[in-house]
Amino acid sequence: MSSRTLAAALVVFTVGCHRQAPAPPVDAALEALRTEEQTAGLNYAEGQGKQLFDQYCATCHGDGGKGDGQNASNLNPTVPDLTTSKNLADATYVRRVIAEGSAAVGRSPLSPPWGRSLSPQEVAYVTLYCQALAKKKP
Amino acid sequence: MRDPQTAPPRLHLAFAALGLGFLAIFSWVFFKEQGAEWRSAQARFRKLEATVKNPHQLAQSAGAAGVRQVWLPDLDRVDRCTTCHLGVDDPAFAKAPALFRSHPGTWLTTHPVERFGCTVCHDGQGEATDYAHAAHKPIPGVARAMRPLETIEANCGACHRSLEPRGAPRLAEGRRLIVESGCVACHDIPGFEGVSFRGPGLDSLGYKVRPDWLEGWLKDPKGYLANSKMGNFRLSEAEIAGLRALLLSQKAEAPQVADVDWKKADSANGKALFGQLRCVSCHAVNGRGGTMGPELSRIGDKVRRDWLFSYLRDPHREQPDTAMLQYRLTDTQVRDVAAFLLEEYKTPGGEAEAAPAPYQDAPAVAEGRAVFVRRGCYGCHKLAGIRETGKIGPSLAGVADRDPDQLPYGGKPVRRTADNYIFLKVQQPDSLGAPSLMPTFSFAPAQAAKITLALASLHKADLPASRVVKEAPPTPYRPRGAFGELVTRYRCLSCHRIGGSGGDLSTVPLDRIGSQLQHDYLVAYLLNPGAVRVSVEARMPVFHMLPEEARTIADYAATTFLDDDLDRYDTRFTPAEVSRGEQLYRQLGCVGCHQLNLQGGYVGPDLSNTGQRLRPGWTAAWLAAPNRYKPGTLQPDYGLSPGDARALTAYLASLGGSTSRAAGKAASATGGGHP
Repeated sequence: MSSRTLAAALVVFTVGCHRQAPAPPVDAALEALRTEEQTAGLNYAEGQGKQLFDQYCATCHGDGGKGDGQNASNLNPTVPDLTTSKNLADATYVRRVIAEGSAAVGRSPLSPPWGRSLSPQEVAYVTLYCQALAKKKP
Repeated sequence: MRDPQTAPPRLHLAFAALGLGFLAIFSWVFFKEQGAEWRSAQARFRKLEATVKNPHQLAQSAGAAGVRQVWLPDLDRVDRCTTCHLGVDDPAFAKAPALFRSHPGTWLTTHPVERFGCTVCHDGQGEATDYAHAAHKPIPGVARAMRPLETIEANCGACHRSLEPRGAPRLAEGRRLIVESGCVACHDIPGFEGVSFRGPGLDSLGYKVRPDWLEGWLKDPKGYLANSKMGNFRLSEAEIAGLRALLLSQKAEAPQVADVDWKKADSANGKALFGQLRCVSCHAVNGRGGTMGPELSRIGDKVRRDWLFSYLRDPHREQPDTAMLQYRLTDTQVRDVAAFLLEEYKTPGGEAEAAPAPYQDAPAVAEGRAVFVRRGCYGCHKLAGIRETGKIGPSLAGVADRDPDQLPYGGKPVRRTADNYIFLKVQQPDSLGAPSLMPTFSFAPAQAAKITLALASLHKADLPASRVVKEAPPTPYRPRGAFGELVTRYRCLSCHRIGGSGGDLSTVPLDRIGSQLQHDYLVAYLLNPGAVRVSVEARMPVFHMLPEEARTIADYAATTFLDDDLDRYDTRFTPAEVSRGEQLYRQLGCVGCHQLNLQGGYVGPDLSNTGQRLRPGWTAAWLAAPNRYKPGTLQPDYGLSPGDARALTAYLASLGGSTSRAAGKAASATGGGHP
């Protein structure tokens, strides 16, 4: 009787211990932010770039950079599709277009210079986001 | 006495052993120090430096030798991180291994290491000179392990106190959510002192809402509006019954019901008015529209007809602190709008409105009053006869520095940090093991995390003033006289800013509007606000303002809201300047965003009638430095020389000029456009 009780207690104890094996502690707030980044497919710097892109660029370039913003149809020459543009691979070129405008690289003046409105850091963020758009081809 | 030279041999042995012991300890310390992590790191760096830099640069650099530190007495910090991170402020090391790599971005130009150290932004143990003790990774017993990039904005917030910090979007979003969710109604939160949060007053609620709606709302506000500002207080049936009795018995002022014939109500006309008055600038319907006022998608399930009529007629009588303006409408128009709202925006097949029943169940009302006080409803809602006893929640000052081991985590498998406690509390206030009075707001996890970042920047010890970056609080602006009455009636300050106070739904602040706009244009615009920017969704309401009211406002602006620098501008333009300006207009690509003669983009305002719309001093100042007047504006700063800005101004001032004045006025009166 008593040995049976002992055995039962041992089983309960073992199972209990097994159940209690704690999950590794996590940082809940951090995980939530990482999940958000993964869902958007953008890291921290690219995410900052996206916010600026949405504010300054998306009216013409479109939310996804495909050149389909609401103002795009008013422009001649047309807005290029950033997701397929080969120029996006060259960060210096992209930074230059953003900061000094498309006229600075010998194209139309329709993409204005943002270098006096954005800080160099912000220009770098937008550059990273544009490059991420080009990489993220659906 | 014994001869000292013949001490017992046992003592000799003891001294020898002691000596050897000291020697051993000394050598151990010596070799350990010689083999310290930072020394080998510095040795590796010297090798790397030789490959990265040319001999001339090498000769100039002092070379790394010894522990390096940044001492910040005002912050009580000693950071020795640069002992190993030797390339951090040298761009030559951009591609070096992580340990020696230069800091990414341009952060060190605005936050130089000598002035800010490293742990001010990154946390960690600054005094340590090896990887583990510096708390690059969390270590037990150390409160501040280094923050990963994802949560680093919590530390931006310690110094940057603005409610909209630029360059820290997560912190900004967290602070916005704190303001919008009304956290300040229950908690004192340092940095949010100027923020107030008010729900509607409840003094006449018995006339305002339908009883079944109220019950559902108290049970779960999100059930009525997914984005309701009010959280779920997890009330019991008894508490709901009490509050219902208390609130429905509130009948301070009966609605002003005019003699209108509801049978003749024309909801088609109401629909047209709803669009024309631009209600959606502030109120969303079916997910689209502004957020200043409540969403109206199910307003027909909520309010009573007589109350709605009375409210639309004079919102300020019902809710003196509402942001809503008082339109100048006839009773018939008000009736039609009310009829449209109640018909269009309700659940199909909902019950008809019952007459307000008398609620005089005294015990239930007393119970409701007790619940109202216990749950701190008065934090947001005014109700006569309730003694307000201060904010119901604790102050959040120093919440980031609370002892993580003393905080509850409700048995959740999280690391014991203030961040994790704040996150859990914000997201599920009732899940931490103790009963909580705090409502559940149903924040998405990422939203809760951003609120956490904003709160994790609230430390116990305040920083020296020289470290704090903060805007001056706005001085309340209360205009007087006839102009003041109009500002109150039309609630200009709900959207426009004057002297730093007011909303910012609008374009530039109004402080110099008299020097920006032509007087006659302003009058015409107030009478019939057209769309200056076609692509902007929030438009100025069509007030149905009286002509003399519009003139009063324009006269006031022309004598008070002035900027002498703009008014002194020499407006005698030469034809050469005009043609140079026209050339610049083409050259800069202005057409990409602005309409002119039916050509161009829809991002900026139509420029066809600029000559009648803008005063040239303003045009020139704006073109030269747009960000000075409206930070974050979409008007690019082309870095124009004063001459070029003047030429462009001359050209724009010539558009729709004084010769075609009458035609232009007609055009702006019908909503702007091409004269």
